[in-house]
Amino acid sequence: MENKKFNITLRVWKQKSEDSKGRFETYNVEGIIPEMSFLEMLDVLNEKLIKEGKEPVYVESDCREGICGCCGFVINGDVHGPDEHSTVCQLHMRRFKEGDVVTIEPFRAKAFPLIRDLVIDRGALDKIITAGGYISVNVGSAPDANTIPVDKNTAEKAMDYATCIGCGACVAACPNSAAMLFTGAKISHLASLPQGHPERTKRVLNMIKIMDSLGFGNCSNEYECEAVCPKEIKISAIAKMNREFLKANFLSEEDPDLPPVFHQSTVDVPEDE
Amino acid sequence: MNYLFILRMIKSSIGRKQIMAVSGILLSFFMLIHLAENLLLFKGEEWYNGWVNILLSNPLTIYLEIGLLILFLLHITTGVWVRIEDWVNSRKRKYENINWQGGRTLGSATMLYTAIALLIYLGFHMLHFRFTDHSMGFYQMVTSAFRSKLFVTIYIAGAVALALHLSHGFQSAFQTLGINHKKYNFYIKILSYAVGISMVAFAAISIYFLLGLDIKPEAEYNNVIETIIE
Repeated sequence: MENKKFNITLRVWKQKSEDSKGRFETYNVEGIIPEMSFLEMLDVLNEKLIKEGKEPVYVESDCREGICGCCGFVINGDVHGPDEHSTVCQLHMRRFKEGDVVTIEPFRAKAFPLIRDLVIDRGALDKIITAGGYISVNVGSAPDANTIPVDKNTAEKAMDYATCIGCGACVAACPNSAAMLFTGAKISHLASLPQGHPERTKRVLNMIKIMDSLGFGNCSNEYECEAVCPKEIKISAIAKMNREFLKANFLSEEDPDLPPVFHQSTVDVPEDE
Repeated sequence: MNYLFILRMIKSSIGRKQIMAVSGILLSFFMLIHLAENLLLFKGEEWYNGWVNILLSNPLTIYLEIGLLILFLLHITTGVWVRIEDWVNSRKRKYENINWQGGRTLGSATMLYTAIALLIYLGFHMLHFRFTDHSMGFYQMVTSAFRSKLFVTIYIAGAVALALHLSHGFQSAFQTLGINHKKYNFYIKILSYAVGISMVAFAAISIYFLLGLDIKPEAEYNNVIETIIE
């Protein structure tokens, strides 16, 4: 075991806040075990830095099993690191060797303001979701399973779109920092299922409207997003969103600019005298 | 009158791109027709001038030209708009290093530059062939222009820019309009490259006349005889 340990040189982007000037800082990380994950390697570095009384490298992580979408930065020019369709936490140090110089940069996009070092604010993605990435249901007890039949193929397709973890890699990899794959996945997911149909017109128009207002770029169909997506969401999601937009704009008879109409009681309630 | 849907189309990022996509596809069809027309140059003066006369004597041609102008204006305005938006929303700090690993091609990465080149070329092309003196006859006008090396260089550059622009633009337009399916994505891609590469034929026309390949040997011989007699 002992002789398998190796050392690398890390170049990490250090920046105090969105407005301050950033720079690359170089660290030597020693005694790396190949079985370590990339984040564990950063933990080792940070523990050492803290012991020495220096400032650690700020990095965000939560589940460390590739499903939360918290971690994520650019390693040697690769979004989410050199492994295909994977998150940073799923990257292991066996991909590197003695003497490697590894450069880490945060996801860069105008819509993702930097909080510190490698930590960015992905709140813009949440704003897109609040614009319509949900279905409205009456409160009460949960409906019985299979009251609305969904065939297996449709369920599988909707699930493929639903696997989006909102990590923002698509925005980070896009030459124009567009959030089309994210928004497309959310719209396609709900548009594929019968539960999503009643609100689909409003959903697509509102989500795109909000997306446009948050500082994301336009899609130039270069499919860089698809290549880095850890959940392998296909650009057919963007095509489906484009179709949904056309349908909503040209075929739908409802006016999405009006406020939602709630069911009103037809029984006249006598006013108090 | 309900105009909200038009407003929404213009106000939305996707709507603007769809206007650009539809006008782009229609313009690609125009380019293919334009190429077919100009291939008549290989058939000689009679054929080419004959076709030009058919066009000029048709009263509908002027409306087609206006339609074409509208398509160009739509495509250029939406293109400039989308680009300015991308520029405004671009990253404050660039990546030190980013590896493109998706579908980025030479055509797609140079869309902005080929677009600017084509805009300049379009102005040049209009000034020299459209808004100019046509009294010497169209065939003569075109062929005499292509005897100049500078002129042919500009036309080759234009044809290459057009080929690159269409190789990405044509397939991109389908995706923007929501036409994407694993059954036929491959064919759209092939079609797009075919349309792009066929634009190189424009360069071939100008080179053909620059090299004087249209002058038949016996005609040259006759010319020599004539000069000797004189």
